[in-house]
Amino acid sequence: MDMLKRCLRSGRVMVGLGIVLVILFCALFAPYLAPADPNDQDLLHILLPPAWMADGDSAFPLGTDSLGRDELSRLIYGARTAMTVAIVASFGAMAIGSILAHVAGYFGGAIDWIIGRVVDVWMSFPPVIFSLILMVGLGTGLDKVILAIVLVDWTRFCRVLRSEVLVVKQRDYVAAARLIGFSHWRTVTREVLPATLPLLITLVSLEMGIAVVVEAILSFVGLGVGADLPAWGQMIADARQHIYDSASGLFFPILAIFLTVTGFNLLGDGLRRALDVRLISAREQ
Amino acid sequence: MSDILSVRDLGVSATIGGASVPVIHGLSFDLAPGKILGLVGESGAGKSMVGRALAQLLPPGFAIASGACLFEGRDLVAMAPERRRALLGREIAFIPQSPQTALDPLRTIGQQFDEQLRHAGAGARSERRERVLAMLAAVHLPEPAELVDKYPHQLSGGMCQRVLIAMAFSSNPKLVVADEPTTALDVTIQVRILRLIAEMQQRLQTALIFITHDLRLASRICDEIIVMYAGSAVEIGPGRAVFSARAHPYTRCLELADPATAHGGRALFLLPEQMPGLRALARMAGCHFAPRCPNVTDDCRGTRPMLTPVGTGHSAACLRLSATSAITAAEVKGAAAEDGAHKPLLRVEGLSKRYVTAGALFGRSEVTAVRNVDFSIAENEFVALVGESGSGKSTIARLLVGLEAPSSGRILVDGRDLTGSSRETHALRIATMQMVFQDPQSALNPRRRIASIVTQAMEAGSRHVSREERVARTRELLVEVGMSPELATRYPPQLSGGQRQRVNIARALGARARLLVADEIVSGLDVSVQAQLLNLLFRLRAELGFAMLFISHDLSVVRYLCGRVLTMYRGEIVEQGKTAEVFANPQHPYTRALLAAVPPADPAVRWAALDSA
Repeated sequence: MDMLKRCLRSGRVMVGLGIVLVILFCALFAPYLAPADPNDQDLLHILLPPAWMADGDSAFPLGTDSLGRDELSRLIYGARTAMTVAIVASFGAMAIGSILAHVAGYFGGAIDWIIGRVVDVWMSFPPVIFSLILMVGLGTGLDKVILAIVLVDWTRFCRVLRSEVLVVKQRDYVAAARLIGFSHWRTVTREVLPATLPLLITLVSLEMGIAVVVEAILSFVGLGVGADLPAWGQMIADARQHIYDSASGLFFPILAIFLTVTGFNLLGDGLRRALDVRLISAREQ
Repeated sequence: MSDILSVRDLGVSATIGGASVPVIHGLSFDLAPGKILGLVGESGAGKSMVGRALAQLLPPGFAIASGACLFEGRDLVAMAPERRRALLGREIAFIPQSPQTALDPLRTIGQQFDEQLRHAGAGARSERRERVLAMLAAVHLPEPAELVDKYPHQLSGGMCQRVLIAMAFSSNPKLVVADEPTTALDVTIQVRILRLIAEMQQRLQTALIFITHDLRLASRICDEIIVMYAGSAVEIGPGRAVFSARAHPYTRCLELADPATAHGGRALFLLPEQMPGLRALARMAGCHFAPRCPNVTDDCRGTRPMLTPVGTGHSAACLRLSATSAITAAEVKGAAAEDGAHKPLLRVEGLSKRYVTAGALFGRSEVTAVRNVDFSIAENEFVALVGESGSGKSTIARLLVGLEAPSSGRILVDGRDLTGSSRETHALRIATMQMVFQDPQSALNPRRRIASIVTQAMEAGSRHVSREERVARTRELLVEVGMSPELATRYPPQLSGGQRQRVNIARALGARARLLVADEIVSGLDVSVQAQLLNLLFRLRAELGFAMLFISHDLSVVRYLCGRVLTMYRGEIVEQGKTAEVFANPQHPYTRALLAAVPPADPAVRWAALDSA
């Protein structure tokens, strides 16, 4: 409860959480919020600027793209794609990474060595190239994007959490739990995990921001969620070709990505500060 | 002769939650050249704050509120920071508490020493090197020429402290402040370090401020002692006088709580509760010691007592000084009645532990931590295991409870062998033995409530335990270890050190252990808290019945608590027997060295280890 209160007092957490909640709201209620179907083409009204500018049309508040699709609707539906990928992919990466991290850190020895080397080899691939290659192999689609991000980014969790597990394992209370008759499973879930959880939550939050960027990159190069789903990366790729005719088409999806990633990063950083026991004691003593 | 340091009405305050709270109240003292002043007090008494105030190195939020520190007539408080910095390290030097963290691990001893001398403005490079070698030789370090090229981690704690002492005295300072200089070291080394500090101090006629929690030690080496309690000086006087004719009730209570002075089954005096925190102090109008004082009257709660003379140069701050000597501790019932014929509980036969470390290129080297150890513990028996750090005491503890597997030998409980890793032996071990860890801060999960920690044993196994059952057991255990059941919903960081150690013990009792393996469980605690725990252990044994292997380096605690003692030296048990017999007639040189390291309880008796310089 203390932790929760401290989180809610932190400015970073509140701002970050606010941004994330707004975007999550857009994603959940996209059909009600969007003024039009994001895939409806209106070839009579292509590359319109936002409504408040000269030549703007009030039917398209943020203008249209090269096929006459409504920018605002595509942005709102794009949030759906971005949030789905952010949440599912980061939880997937967290699940694989943290389970392996706890196994490696807690048991140590040969298991630790093997997992450590796998992570080393895995991380020596450049992540973006790695995910592009995966997408070529897997084909496009929302689930494929998620799978690619999970397969690339689990190492991030594994490496950071493993060192935290090593630290916690040294504490006498972990030995005390074993001595009092706890099984390994119970010791890890009741003694180790609660101590690594703050770091885990922080990493998940940061990973969500990364997942949004990776999804945008993949969509940008056309290896993303597929043409029928609106995605911010696609919108940027699309607008790039008409940059001299209409810059606004480029501006809004970039702003959306920027805001979302900033929100997740602020949230992650705020959580790290609020949940880190060491920082608390340094400040309150 | 004029005084080197003259502190007048020094007040330090802290800012807590926006309000200013006094930490040190009007402290005054004078220190003449070549004299040693002892600042004695339990943790939180503000003794270290005095040393830090001199250097103006107060922790954030703390500030000097009033008073002056006149160093040779110049006020350190009002002085410009540059001038004060010029004095520090040159005229005023410090010896820190933990030697290994005070040295930079990335630079050699010689480099660090040279920097210190440069700061002190000592001559050319070759001259400085000469001086470094001379100082290192002066603190009796062997081979100074080789030592200068070594890094701090290559030296032992005692050697690091010698280097720091040499550095402190290298600039011929007029004043040296030593803050608990021996606390982090082994007992047998402590005396040697003390002797060294005293020797350097005498040779150079330096004035020394010696900050310690050990009144017995301070009375041995200090010319004058200030006993501090909750930020105020409660008693000031010549070392011997303060020790032998204690005037303040607090000093008297400390004497009665010290296991070294408790002979013949007398219980240790129990000071109730603990020193009040800063917030509580700020609200207190009268004497700070009033809430814990056995002689308290209503007057004490309303008036703050001033220092009143009780002898030559000896004064104490108490309204009822005449009543102090009347404080006595109760006789303990049946504390000594343990040496009956009990049936043996644990037997250890030929226990050894070897560690294999991988060599650089060729082969492997073997380190034997424990070699061929035999001993036994009977039911309800408290057995002490003493030895210096690295002698294998803790390894034995870890082998017993099963945190490590022995290389050879057997551990038998009720005649059944515990070595081997079958499910049955594991279960038997858990049902018999529990470990009480040294550092309760690390041993208690900060994210569990106290209730959940003490009944943790109920979570193990597959049997479901109802909530009511746990609540009832929590209450039972907390009352057992003398804690209020209201603390059950707290978290460990919210408790004091003594309370945490009680929780630590309660958890082991909660598992219904028949043998506690206690690794240094009272070291690092204040005397009054230590006394509470020692008495608690006696009472619990009488009520519940359990045996204990008590690992310690403090022989006065061992003598008070344990019937039998095992002395370990380099992985072997070199001496064992009844505590009284071993202490009266020690056979092994190491046992003798350990005993010599303890200052005699009687101030009239010469302390050979300190005097034979």
